[in-house]
Amino acid sequence: MLRFNRVFRDGGGFDGALVLLALAYLVAFSAFPLIYNLVISFQSVDLFTIATFDRPFVGLENYRDIVNDPLFWPVVRNTILFVGLSVVFQLGIGLALALFFRLDFPGSTWLRGLFLAGWIMPGLVVGAIWGWLLAGDFGVVNWLIQSLGLTQQKIFWLSDPSISIYSVIIANIWLGVPFNMILLSVGLAAIPADVYEAAELDGASRLQRFFTITLPMMRAQLGAVISLGIIFTLQQFDLFAALTQGGPSNASNVLQYWSWELAFREYRIGHGSVVSVFMIIVVIFVATAYVRSTRHEHVV
Amino acid sequence: MLSSTPWKRWLLLAIAVLLVAIYLFPLYWMYVTALKTNTETFANPPTLWPHHAELKVARVWNDMGMGSFIQNSLVIACGTVAIVVLFGTGCAYGLARVRSVWMDVALFMVLMLQVLPPSLLITPIFVAFSQLGLLSWPRTGTILATAANKLPLYIVLVRAAFTQVPRELEEAALVDGNSRIGAFLSISVPLARNGILVSAILIFLQALGEYVYSRSLITDRAYQPATVGLQFFVGPNASDWTGIMTFAAIYVTPILIIFVLAQRRIVSGLTSGALK
Repeated sequence: MLRFNRVFRDGGGFDGALVLLALAYLVAFSAFPLIYNLVISFQSVDLFTIATFDRPFVGLENYRDIVNDPLFWPVVRNTILFVGLSVVFQLGIGLALALFFRLDFPGSTWLRGLFLAGWIMPGLVVGAIWGWLLAGDFGVVNWLIQSLGLTQQKIFWLSDPSISIYSVIIANIWLGVPFNMILLSVGLAAIPADVYEAAELDGASRLQRFFTITLPMMRAQLGAVISLGIIFTLQQFDLFAALTQGGPSNASNVLQYWSWELAFREYRIGHGSVVSVFMIIVVIFVATAYVRSTRHEHVV
Repeated sequence: MLSSTPWKRWLLLAIAVLLVAIYLFPLYWMYVTALKTNTETFANPPTLWPHHAELKVARVWNDMGMGSFIQNSLVIACGTVAIVVLFGTGCAYGLARVRSVWMDVALFMVLMLQVLPPSLLITPIFVAFSQLGLLSWPRTGTILATAANKLPLYIVLVRAAFTQVPRELEEAALVDGNSRIGAFLSISVPLARNGILVSAILIFLQALGEYVYSRSLITDRAYQPATVGLQFFVGPNASDWTGIMTFAAIYVTPILIIFVLAQRRIVSGLTSGALK
């Protein structure tokens, strides 16, 4: 009891115990599912065997099935398109807004904070609203581009197979812009003002200052924001559920939604796990890059 | 920061307001549609302002069964926050106080687990929960899984708050005969309470919007939260847009109010995590 007191009541064991408690919870409900997912991906699991512990191992059969599935490559292509376009536009718009709100005018901080209203909204509600904005017959976006004379016909954002993925991308960009902007603002604020003043005295133009000071000094921040953008885009699920549900006929399906559909719609749980394994490998790869890039400044 | 002339500052303000207005137009459109009559909703050209505004809160609340949805959302969000605060606060404190290789490993683990997509973890969680019989308590299962998903973010944010509490105050309490637990609860936690509160609010708001776990683990309509309820009405073939937008407006208005009230603190909490 004395020893217990010395270590946990008064000593360093106290901190260790607190940390271990939370880690134990995370291991049970986050790390264990990760490993278990790998196990399931080698098993044949259906509705009848789901609750038992002895399920037949089938080796790499699930992996072969998935890679040979005619949907596999189109879905991979969609995922790359979804992540690529989302991250580029979120970053571009986010950086432009961050630079603008850095200028000196009344209420800049408060107005900038309002953008986060988009970020705090549940993804499903954002999806529902964009579903209405982009609706084919009565959507306000179609009305706007038609009255601007950009197109003659209505665009069926959600039901045209060649376009439906872009409707989800647009909604996802809207959702991701505020977070990008706030994180980039933090990076911009950390650049000392006298660097700019010195450059201005030396006669550097605005554009020159951006490319020779802002971008190089933001390198770590940009790396972190891009990695986080990729991670959050790979996490995006709610918008698909609300907007297109991967359709029409899987034209806008991405890996994370396909994995869920395989497991929970078609009850091909082993196959769903295989897709998850692929995705988790990508996420861990990006996350490692992110954690390394921010070793000393743990960005949220 | 960069100084400019007065008229230029007002011009910039005007542009800024315009940018915010463009960005928040989807929110505006949700509220306007919720107030329109069904015929006006489908008018062409669309009206930018409801001409015959009508409040359909009571009808939508009853017809779409929102009472039970909202109640379940609150139960799940409160349960999640309780677990996250209980497990996360101490962990954040430990990670902020002790510098060692092991703590670095622990922090690395927390950061890695923060990024795992729920949609990829739900399959093994579903299988494991059905083996353990946890699916008979679907809301409890959802709370346990959601808490694990939100815990890392809370730890990172609260850790930043604890690093700002001076160690000396705590050491003084220890000299005065407090135990470590006593010093933690009576000195460190009260001094970091703003950071803890803001982080807890943020987790609460995020948990209110949780979808994947609830959708997959809860099959009984009586236990489903508002996100799952809303998903039931939307999709490519949705037609009752006034109803859907009213549902969405009722659901997110409290979230937006809490956010606007705590906006400054949430923003500075998020960004201080980035600077520390």
